[in-house]
Amino acid sequence: MLLELRQVSKQYGMNTKALSDIDFSVKEGEFVSIIGPSGAGKSTLLRCINRMIEASNGEIIFDGANVLGSNKKELKMIRRKIGMIFQHYNLVNRLSVIENVLHGRLGYKSTIAGVLGLYQEEEKEQAVKLLQILGLEDQIYKRADQLSGGQKQRVGIARALIQSPKMLLCDEPIASLDPNASKIIMDHLRSISTKMGITILINLHQVEVALKYSDRIIGVNQGRVVYNGSPDDLTEEQIHNIYGSEVGELILDLGGKHAG
Amino acid sequence: MEMDESFKPISLEARNSMKSSHPGKMIKVKTITKETIVIQLTMIILAISTLYGFFTFDYKDIVFIESVVSALQSVKIMLFEPHLQHFTFGEAIFQVMVTLGLAFLTTLFGAVIALFLGLLAARNLSTRFVSNLIKGCVAFIRAVPTVLWVLIFSVAAGLGSVAAVIGMTFHSVGYLIKAFSEAFEELDKGVIEALRASGANWWQIVFQAVLPSCVTYLISWTFLRFEINFAVAVGMGAAAGAGGIGYDMFMASGFYFDLREVGLITYFILAFAIVLEILAGRIKRKLKSR
Repeated sequence: MLLELRQVSKQYGMNTKALSDIDFSVKEGEFVSIIGPSGAGKSTLLRCINRMIEASNGEIIFDGANVLGSNKKELKMIRRKIGMIFQHYNLVNRLSVIENVLHGRLGYKSTIAGVLGLYQEEEKEQAVKLLQILGLEDQIYKRADQLSGGQKQRVGIARALIQSPKMLLCDEPIASLDPNASKIIMDHLRSISTKMGITILINLHQVEVALKYSDRIIGVNQGRVVYNGSPDDLTEEQIHNIYGSEVGELILDLGGKHAG
Repeated sequence: MEMDESFKPISLEARNSMKSSHPGKMIKVKTITKETIVIQLTMIILAISTLYGFFTFDYKDIVFIESVVSALQSVKIMLFEPHLQHFTFGEAIFQVMVTLGLAFLTTLFGAVIALFLGLLAARNLSTRFVSNLIKGCVAFIRAVPTVLWVLIFSVAAGLGSVAAVIGMTFHSVGYLIKAFSEAFEELDKGVIEALRASGANWWQIVFQAVLPSCVTYLISWTFLRFEINFAVAVGMGAAAGAGGIGYDMFMASGFYFDLREVGLITYFILAFAIVLEILAGRIKRKLKSR
């Protein structure tokens, strides 16, 4: 098991529970989607894993290391093995594409080298190679804010991949993209999982996309895991259970369920 | 005929009843409220007190028309007959350079100190306690005018350039920390989150994400402060004996009573202020297009 969550809870204030007793584990190379309504705690769950948000209770084991009990240095080691991709890409707009990609190496550098932006030749080569794989070889020296949304997200993926991560956490990576760009991003993520053997844990809004691409689906509602299993076993009834809706209320098209 | 007879009394009656309900009144367009009364009363009181002031001033032997004419004459002498009496053209240039130097030095010191303290004062890069502490101190520093700071420091350093440099730096730091920290706070917090998630530390995030994103703001704020400091430096020359063109102006006006020389110095300061303004505009435009 690469990642294991045991009884993880997150409480805000006295009685607002964002997550309660989350239990699941993820195998190496698995593509796992987390679905659920807005405000169900999907983003919080993702951020608890690399401690961008501190969980209140429970235990998280990543790659044999205890995440919640780690000190500053250990946490840095854990974080650089986990790449993260965001809905709004979170690139530094005023810098070039390659500079943004190289930011993924900062966790491996000394403070001074990172501050001055001194990267090794191999790191630069790897950045260029990743950009080529993602089809951005013509945009290397463009400023990040000159790119389209889909291109920005691919830069975000390159920045995560240059960390040589064991796992990618993707927080709604296609929520701001058009269907075309969304498909490109999802295809890239799928091939990263299959070809590079990198585990992917992804928050999604689109149930069809989750069904089509994932090895496993975790349904979250009101901070609890209400479904954990293969997409093939996910019935329409269970989807409604996840989203807390009545049958027939959701815009769903399960026709393409087995297309992937 | 019959119809007329029956009509008349009714219409008369109607007219009478209208008269009784609106006895000689016209329809008002403006309504009288508390606000309008207060505003109008204020205006009236101000007008009366102004007039009263003019009648009760101690005019000594000044005749209004005459004095206006002579004042205009002084302005005419100042602006149209400038000349140099007590120093040469080269010396004047040198003195302006001294003033510019004072402005440059204090802005530079201020910007460097404010850069680091501004990072600590920005809410998204610091802890709440440190941020509030710095912002509180800075608010206090800014509340006291620059001239007062110079005079306060002159207690220890004596009136002169040292007190001027320290005092002006002090106020510049206060001003720039506020400007810089607000620029830093504008930064998208997702960018900081992304770098933090990849294992980057605070210094790396500051230099790789925060500063590249904010550099245009930092430079344009620093330039604005440089312009302010130039004007303050002129004043400091006169008020605190810090030297430079301000001191020459003080001597020309308060010591030699030489209006023509004051006029020339005014032109000098104006010319340099315009040059600075143009330069600042150019740099800002270049930064924006980058």
